[in-house]
Amino acid sequence: MTLLLGIVMLLAAISALGVVLSRQTLYSALSLVVTLSMVAVIFLLLNAQFLFAVQIIIYAGAVMVLFVFIIALLNPEAEDRPAFDWRSWIGIAAVAGITILVFVTARNGITYNDGGLRGAQIGRVSDPYHTFSFPPDAVNAAGNVQTVAGQLFTTFILPFEITSLLLLVAAIGAVYLTRREHSGS
Amino acid sequence: MIGGDEWWVLLIKIVVVVLGLVTIAAYLTLAERKVSARIQLRIGPNRVGPYGMLQPAADAVKMLFKENTAPSNRDRLLFLVGPSLAAGAALLSFAFIPLGINNWFNYQFHWDVGHANVGLLFILGVSSYGVYALFLGGWAANSKYSLLGGLRASAQLISYEMAVAFALIGAVIIAGSLDLEQIVHAQQGAWFIVLQPLAFLLYFTGAFAETNRAPFDLPEAETELVAGYHTEYSSLRFGLYFLGEYVNMVVVSSIATTLFLGGWLPIFPFHPFDWIPGPLWFLGKVAVLIFVMMWVRWTFPRLRYDRLMSFGWKVLLPLGLVNILITGTVVALRA
Repeated sequence: MTLLLGIVMLLAAISALGVVLSRQTLYSALSLVVTLSMVAVIFLLLNAQFLFAVQIIIYAGAVMVLFVFIIALLNPEAEDRPAFDWRSWIGIAAVAGITILVFVTARNGITYNDGGLRGAQIGRVSDPYHTFSFPPDAVNAAGNVQTVAGQLFTTFILPFEITSLLLLVAAIGAVYLTRREHSGS
Repeated sequence: MIGGDEWWVLLIKIVVVVLGLVTIAAYLTLAERKVSARIQLRIGPNRVGPYGMLQPAADAVKMLFKENTAPSNRDRLLFLVGPSLAAGAALLSFAFIPLGINNWFNYQFHWDVGHANVGLLFILGVSSYGVYALFLGGWAANSKYSLLGGLRASAQLISYEMAVAFALIGAVIIAGSLDLEQIVHAQQGAWFIVLQPLAFLLYFTGAFAETNRAPFDLPEAETELVAGYHTEYSSLRFGLYFLGEYVNMVVVSSIATTLFLGGWLPIFPFHPFDWIPGPLWFLGKVAVLIFVMMWVRWTFPRLRYDRLMSFGWKVLLPLGLVNILITGTVVALRA
């Protein structure tokens, strides 16, 4: 199991490098599809089955399909990619620094139990320390989907509804923008 | 993780499922030709072996030895990835479909490759890789017919995936689970086709579009697009697309069987019906559905493309939503 996890992580890392290093934009996007799929498999190996399915359906299945469509149809030339000069090194250093910072802080243990998460306070049921502990075996015994749904529709109902409202606003906005372009021309 | 099998049991299962699906797909081509022949008052292939039973083998050999032509301006990698992904995604999506459960000497044997809490979501997710296969395959060939076919295929698949998923939710609400085995168990009283006739119709209609079959075979409409996304593919590469298409027929029929036709459950829960083993019931139901799909293909004419899209978005999807609303209300009131 650990070996399998290692292989999947290695594949994820290699394809993530492919996103950055590919010469063709379409290959970058396809590498990202592979990376997201591998992250999904990592979720599966870590017993988070629902996250695995959702990761594939939403990212690999929906978001990236649109990316690939647009890139393949508009076909940006390889020359359009910015050249690699000294400024790139600043960017790389910044990304590396932030990544290391994130890992260091994550190791030092930021937890959601300190009341730092707004959603927890909005929908707090009783004991915050039990609301947020989900050992994989217990979750899978109760049903992975059922546990997520239970949390989503009780503890986090308000953030959940607000998010869906945001998506609705975005959808209506997109429809409005395309319509206005039509009548103008 | 998924399933509870030893690794060698899993390996045997995978080999059996892949070989079985490839064989079934090969014989479906023969079945399709026989069915179309009957419908058109012909005899159909009957030269290779008795009743033409060896025709698929002859076709496979022919396909293997044909010249593997390819356009010189193709995208070399994606031209290979497209067909492989088409066949691979179709085969992979069969992994979680349960054909039955048997108890042998206190060992519970599941007739599936893996079973998970989210089996249905897994199938929906994997089938979305098929979109990449068709679109990238059409794009990589660098031909106008292929590109148009690939675009049509992906637009159609994405639209109908929504309609199909909404149709399935009705059955999921009643069963209260996304685990395919539990959905079958929930149908022991009555098959969901009785409780969810509308959802079954919606799903089965959408399934025709998902498998790119007539009357929704716009991506490869011969009269306009030569052969759509696989115009430039020949030999085994074309064979892989062909394989993916027929395996997809098996997969969508299996999903319909699992969710609406009681999976491996016999039609009546008493003798002599339950003497027939579960997997045979399952395959029988799948065979009936596939026959209906072929029957429809040789009966109805092809839709126009804009009609196809508006049918998906303005008829199937709203009806699916209404079905969810009614089912949800009834289930909530009974609880």
